[in-house]
Amino acid sequence: MLQRESSFAKEALRYGLIVLVLGFIVFPIAWMIITSFKPADAVMVSPPRFLFTPTLENYTHAIYDKNFLFYIKNTLFISVASTVIVVVTGSLAAYSFARYNVGDGHLLFFILSTKMFPAIAVILPYFLIFRDVGKTGIGRFFGIGLDQPGALIISYTVFNLPFAIWLLVSFFQDIPRELEHSARLDGLSRLKVLAKVVCPLAAPGIAVTGVFTLIFSWNEFLFAYILTRKAASTVTVGVESFFTLQGILWGPVAAAATISVLPMLVFVLAMQRYMVRGLTFGAVRG
Amino acid sequence: MSQSLSVPASRERGVASPTAMSDRWFSILLVVPAMLVILVFALLPLAYALDVSFRFADLTRGQIGDFVGLDNYRAVLHDRAFWSSVWVTLKFTLTAVTLEMVLGIAIAFLIHGATAGKGIIRSLMILPLATSAAVTGLFWRYLYDTQFGLINYFLGLVGLPEPNWLGDYTIALWSVILFDVWQWTPFVALIALAGLQALPKEPFEAAELDGASTFRVLRTLTFPMLKPVLFLVLVLRTIDSVRLYDAVAVLTRGGPGTVTETMTFYLYRTGLKLFRMDYASTMAIFFLYAMLVASLFALRPLLTQFSSRASEG
Repeated sequence: MLQRESSFAKEALRYGLIVLVLGFIVFPIAWMIITSFKPADAVMVSPPRFLFTPTLENYTHAIYDKNFLFYIKNTLFISVASTVIVVVTGSLAAYSFARYNVGDGHLLFFILSTKMFPAIAVILPYFLIFRDVGKTGIGRFFGIGLDQPGALIISYTVFNLPFAIWLLVSFFQDIPRELEHSARLDGLSRLKVLAKVVCPLAAPGIAVTGVFTLIFSWNEFLFAYILTRKAASTVTVGVESFFTLQGILWGPVAAAATISVLPMLVFVLAMQRYMVRGLTFGAVRG
Repeated sequence: MSQSLSVPASRERGVASPTAMSDRWFSILLVVPAMLVILVFALLPLAYALDVSFRFADLTRGQIGDFVGLDNYRAVLHDRAFWSSVWVTLKFTLTAVTLEMVLGIAIAFLIHGATAGKGIIRSLMILPLATSAAVTGLFWRYLYDTQFGLINYFLGLVGLPEPNWLGDYTIALWSVILFDVWQWTPFVALIALAGLQALPKEPFEAAELDGASTFRVLRTLTFPMLKPVLFLVLVLRTIDSVRLYDAVAVLTRGGPGTVTETMTFYLYRTGLKLFRMDYASTMAIFFLYAMLVASLFALRPLLTQFSSRASEG
């Protein structure tokens, strides 16, 4: 009896602490979403107001006056394009690493070490190179130059590829080799085995990798901030455009931030099962 | 010969003699596109940065200039602001990563012991990881605001002092750390939790039968078995913290003064605000070198261990 009481107290304490932790974690995001629905006279007030009539005026301001959908469109195009390149080239390479062990592991580690590069180290040369390439005919044709989408597509591809390859290798390793052996014995070529047998089996892993790449590209700030001004700016930079001479318009900022964060929240919740695996480059299978 | 024979014969060629050579070529062809991307777009720019680091390059006075040998390296090593940014980065990394590890592991144990609701707890924990530091960090400025901020409002309610989070010299770095802790503690907790849940049951049952104390079980069983996972998280967090940029850029822009100016931010300011591409490139080379050496020693053995275990299992 006594023991049950003490274990009940222990459970109560445990859940109390968990609620506290979750409160701290969820609260800033919740407050951001709440603020996005506040009328202007309830945002910049002290003390903060918790009760108010919700309004969409911050959203209309963000979308119509600040043209925020333009940044969404840019971001979508750039992230999707880069994700497609990463997933295709990454899958081919990862399959080769997982099955044929190309380069005896050294190559795979070389690729990982590029992931450790501080992005800022390549940004200066990128800035100089894209500035010059953007002025040439080829640069203009492919949109590779400062403030052009091609520059960001290239940047995101390079920076996500190592991560994607590592994660994909872990997924390819999970596929039993026997199926490929028997397909080979049936006379399928190596390429056909890859296309018809391996790819369907690896599809979930490839999709997970793609979503991760998409999230990272969507949320990227440093490259977007330095390599774009206006025409090719993405959401993370777009939110900064709400700084005005009169100060920061927190209501519209909250609305824009909510618009840009929401799709990623949905993605991440859908992918929970794979979060740990993705965040550790496939090392911890979760 | 008859045609019926030639079909199996050609089949056989594909099967029985998958010569070592063609396996090799196939596997090499598969990595070529990815390697091209990395070599052209990651290594070439670095070579370019290395070249610039040996030249005079003040973009306010024209283009990339003459070869100056090691002058830039000497200048950077004697630059007080550079060393101060290194110091800020170290302070930030040490504090933020320690806090995140300790809190994250504690939270993982807390959730691991919970009987119900783990799914929803985990879903809520993931949320900060889905958001961009540039976007939520910006919104944290509103939370930190001395007039309208919710944090000071709550502190005022319980009668605590209300600091000037981002404007006070002694506090600003802590405010950046607090934001980082908010965003990344769940990352540590999630992975530590996955590690805890993957532990085998038997040794713990045996220890319980032997009547080992909780402390002893933790010290001799749980932590030693969790060590690889925890070390991996530690290394990943450290690498990210050393490169910190987004949070500083949106929260403090390095200020007040330069008390929150990390290496990445100083590098950015030197190269793209003051346009001293030569100094900035030199710092980038130093930075890169330090990161490569560190990740070679810390990350490589670690991931080899994990990937070899995975391929065995």
